[in-house]
Amino acid sequence: MSVLEVHDAAVTLDRRVIWQEATFRLERGTVAAVLGPNGAGKSTLLRAVVGLVPLSAGAVTVFGAAPRRGDPRVGYVAQSRAADALSTMTGRDYVGLGYDGPTVGWRRDRARADVVARALALTGTTTFADRPMRTLSGGQHQRIAIAHATVFRPELLLLDEPLAGLDLAAQAEVVDLINLVRDQTGAAVLVVAHDLNPLAPIVDRVVWIARGHVRCGSPDEVVNEATLSELYGHPIEIVHTARGRRVIVGLDEEFAHPHPHGHVHENEDPHAHLAEVYDEVTR
Amino acid sequence: MSLTTLLGFTFVQNAIYAVTAVALAAGAVGYFVVLRRQAFAAHAIGHIGFAGAAGAVLLGLAPVVGLLVFCLGAGLMIGLAGASLDDRDAVVGVTLTAALGLGVLFISLYSGYANATYSILFGQILGVTTGDVWLVAGLSAAVLLTVSLVYRPLLFVSVDAQSAAVRGVSPMGYSVLFMGLLALTTVVAIQIVGVLLVFALLVAPAATAAALTGRPARAMLLAMALALASSWIGLALAIWIGGPTSFWITALASLGYLGARVRLRVGQTHGQRVAA
Repeated sequence: MSVLEVHDAAVTLDRRVIWQEATFRLERGTVAAVLGPNGAGKSTLLRAVVGLVPLSAGAVTVFGAAPRRGDPRVGYVAQSRAADALSTMTGRDYVGLGYDGPTVGWRRDRARADVVARALALTGTTTFADRPMRTLSGGQHQRIAIAHATVFRPELLLLDEPLAGLDLAAQAEVVDLINLVRDQTGAAVLVVAHDLNPLAPIVDRVVWIARGHVRCGSPDEVVNEATLSELYGHPIEIVHTARGRRVIVGLDEEFAHPHPHGHVHENEDPHAHLAEVYDEVTR
Repeated sequence: MSLTTLLGFTFVQNAIYAVTAVALAAGAVGYFVVLRRQAFAAHAIGHIGFAGAAGAVLLGLAPVVGLLVFCLGAGLMIGLAGASLDDRDAVVGVTLTAALGLGVLFISLYSGYANATYSILFGQILGVTTGDVWLVAGLSAAVLLTVSLVYRPLLFVSVDAQSAAVRGVSPMGYSVLFMGLLALTTVVAIQIVGVLLVFALLVAPAATAAALTGRPARAMLLAMALALASSWIGLALAIWIGGPTSFWITALASLGYLGARVRLRVGQTHGQRVAA
């Protein structure tokens, strides 16, 4: 059984089709990168997988069943956490919320401290876990967030833009960590990113979303001139550099460049705004 | 007058019981007000309560009835509309304006002496009756019990709403629940310090605590202790030196916050020097 199966799925928000005819599966121990222009619905895909956004067609099955909120086998790192509210909290406290944050009642669990310590050890965050999170670098912050999401050793890990705003060294650290978590836990990982290159060494599958359509396959099957040209509806050129990086020419400026500029222009596309508005409504 | 003589008066005893109950609830809820950045909502609910109290007086009811109805109503509205940060301030602002307009209307329609509304605005701690004490203690106990039960999910949803939603904690549900708790706490705090100074117990101790420690449980307990300390000392100063109790409580709470900010600033400068 696949960890995640998406079959002919579509999401429609406010009568606008975000994407449709999405079909792919994700097996244990594989890493899939979700790529595509801003506002294409990459985050929406993650939110559909955790049941926060309803499908308008098709089916998503997680561990053979419909997605549901509160499944401890699914770990999720949101793109924008309330950084201000988290700022004075220590990483250890935040990771602890991953353990018993949803629990109502007075009972304290004795295993908590050990489980949290194990998650910190796995993610290599123990040394800075007791510092207020406002004093951490972007990469350290992201690694604490991954520790938070992996407290229960999830079998499916969803990461929304974990590399956004990080310098290249921090990106490499986070990519190494994602690889380590996959190796240690055997989890299937779905990572939203806007550049394949930093993730390329660990990625098995690519899910590319553009113009409402979704293509999935191995990196070579998807990131080639024929597939991307068809997906975008105009000619796309791909230049392979000496070090194996792909420079994609013919997308918007951001994608033409091998290095991310570090900032995501979230409001350029009306879809992005719609998706955000819808997210608020569904809460 | 000796301490034992003072403590023998029922009105002094009632005042002590009432501030204790109020300070504990306000400190605990205040911590989440600061964490969730809902100080404006806390401010608005108090003022909306004033309109309710004025309406109750006009109808010949106890002001606290109007307070409860208006504060809870406003809390639910703000909670439902304001799970998203984007339009929260606008929703709060418009609700506040509408309620204050009603308050003005109610007071102008009321032909009698508006003493009751005056005490709603500025508090009347030394006029607390035994019945008031029971009401305040009951509501505070309910608030504290609820906060202690939902402490973890409320904290989770307050610092990271998206992850909490994925884990099955409803941001909307907790937004409404929290505004309900805030409304109840505001109603009891108004009895003591009045609408205008409700911040003294609801925001100042929690902001002070949050500036002193980042550990959530520690900050919440510290907020409760600070609210309690400023209430007790404020009450004592008002009895011994004179002047309005709410003035003393406000002054102490604000000074505490100022002190914490200064300490934080000194600590940061010191830290920078060490780092350099």
